[in-house]
Amino acid sequence: MAALLKPFKSDKPIPASFYPLLLLTLIGVGLSIYRLVVGLGPTTNMTDHYPWGVWISIDLFLIPVAGAAFTISLITYFFGRQHYEAVIRPAVVAGFLGYAIVGILLFLDIGRWPQFYNIFNPQFINLHSFLEEVSLCITLYTVILILEVAPIFLEKWNVRVPIEWIHRSIYLIAGAGIVLSMLHQSSLGSLFLLMPHKLHPLWWSPALPLMFLLQSIVAGLATAAIAVNLIWRVRGLKMDRELFRRIGQAMGLVLALYAAVKLGDTMGAGELDMLLMPDTLGVIAWLEIILGVLIPAGILYSRLVGHSAGPFWAGVFILIGTLINRLVVSWIGLAEPTLTPYFPSWIEIMITVGLGAGGFLAYGVVVRYFNPFPEGGRSRA
Amino acid sequence: MPSISRRDFIKVAGLGIGGALLAPATASAATPTGDDPNNYIGMLYDATMCVGCNACTNACRQWNSTTAEPGGEGGIYDAPRELSGDTWTLIQLYREEENYSFVKRQCMHCVDPACVSGCPVQALQKSSTGPVTYDAGRCIGCRYCMYTCPFDVPRFEWEEVIPKVQKCTLCNDRLEKGLGTACAEICPTGALVWGRRGDLIAEAESRLAAEPDRYVGKVYGKDDAGGTSVMYLSATPFENLGLPSLGNEPIPALSERSANIFLPTILIGGPLLLASIRAISKREGWA
Repeated sequence: MAALLKPFKSDKPIPASFYPLLLLTLIGVGLSIYRLVVGLGPTTNMTDHYPWGVWISIDLFLIPVAGAAFTISLITYFFGRQHYEAVIRPAVVAGFLGYAIVGILLFLDIGRWPQFYNIFNPQFINLHSFLEEVSLCITLYTVILILEVAPIFLEKWNVRVPIEWIHRSIYLIAGAGIVLSMLHQSSLGSLFLLMPHKLHPLWWSPALPLMFLLQSIVAGLATAAIAVNLIWRVRGLKMDRELFRRIGQAMGLVLALYAAVKLGDTMGAGELDMLLMPDTLGVIAWLEIILGVLIPAGILYSRLVGHSAGPFWAGVFILIGTLINRLVVSWIGLAEPTLTPYFPSWIEIMITVGLGAGGFLAYGVVVRYFNPFPEGGRSRA
Repeated sequence: MPSISRRDFIKVAGLGIGGALLAPATASAATPTGDDPNNYIGMLYDATMCVGCNACTNACRQWNSTTAEPGGEGGIYDAPRELSGDTWTLIQLYREEENYSFVKRQCMHCVDPACVSGCPVQALQKSSTGPVTYDAGRCIGCRYCMYTCPFDVPRFEWEEVIPKVQKCTLCNDRLEKGLGTACAEICPTGALVWGRRGDLIAEAESRLAAEPDRYVGKVYGKDDAGGTSVMYLSATPFENLGLPSLGNEPIPALSERSANIFLPTILIGGPLLLASIRAISKREGWA
């Protein structure tokens, strides 16, 4: 995998990791076509009692992870922190691939896919529906991400004019992307406002939109820290410690804010005693708190934040916490205790794996053959 | 868990998010279409009068041409165990030692339905006469309705290549012809009756007043979750019959209040915030 991230040298052979990734991607593509042809019943384990499966959970996790793009845009373009400029392109490419996977998964997930375009039909659109709002925002935001990603390819092919247009209106483009992100990241949480009777009370809250928004900022920063650290390490560049410290501090600040909202909400609802129950969800809640909040906060509020490994590992734990949270909200926390729990079919799993492999492959290709770093791949340090 | 509206109140008050979310719940007062919910067509099911004959299930099958789901000994009887893409109503049995009760399942045709509020493409709509209708020509098959419905009513045709969502239509096509619902018209004991929602409430309340010891003292659906068009009387606590305590606030109320606050705040506040951050960062020389 690591070899994929090395800069392109025409005399070097294609790395060995390319072929297994390509194979997994092709299997995923084949199974996706099979699912579209035969329907959801024969290919997935979803039922009337579990109408949403693992694909929705992956969407709910990938969207905040791909929030790296809007978080770093906000810091670079609006807070004017030039330190972050080295991060913006890898973050935007990762964001675009994340949203592309989400879009494909959603298309495979909807049962009546031949008329998916109804979500864009002005006569049908339901303005009360957060699902409609999320769908529209994600579509528009993908267009924004294409504009932000385009210069990487246009430079390579030496098409200058559109690059200048994009550069000239970058504040407008990035600003629209940030507003759209804030909308759909929070609305993803709002989806569950209609399900107070379904979602476990430790996770259900009227403040879900605010929590999802804060989570997406933390997870986005975490992803950026991890991605940049990996890329620089693989390329053998000198780490920019100052940059990592700043990302780490921003992460710590928003993480603390999230923890405060979550704690206030749990206390306000009188649900603290639920954390002392020895049932599965009580244990999962503690896992989420310890892995997703306490450990990363411990790292980010200590001197470790000054090492490049500090924000990296804090980021890893934050993403684990985010994953646990989104799995509970979209799957485990919705389970009906009297029924056999849902578990995805092998086809659901292989399609997911195939899309993930395709994402890595595409990222590797971009890093190898194009230049996602603004200064010819040199560190600013 | 306490009732939903109380829970919201406590949670939001604890957080201090703002007064707007605390707008008082108005049960049965507002409908998506602005109609008087008492004029909706509905049904009243009295569990104490039901003998579990399943005539209603069969009448529904005949009118809507749904496929029987054989089960039981030898598989010769139509014996659905729960609602499905093919079974839009059925009688279920609750039994605990000597006590038992039948309960009829079908779409409740809520006054302010969560499925209608959540549906991205308005495939589900609240008609002005009461039924919650479904239009497969709009539906994208996202199945959000199946999660938002507090009664687990909408079902999916999982085995179809391009499945539809299926549920009771309140015989909308019969109502338009001036007929009653198929299930209520066939009911031999009078356990199930159809009519104007306001009249059904009056009938239910007079039964409660006449024989208070016969029933648990409430008409389920008069106010629950903002009111439903199908209402229940029972001798067994409603929770046992799969009719949960939902509070009196319509399920969509919190979501729609939240939309009214969050969306304009982000749409107007977001760009303003970004512009001022940019202005400040320029002046302070961050960039």
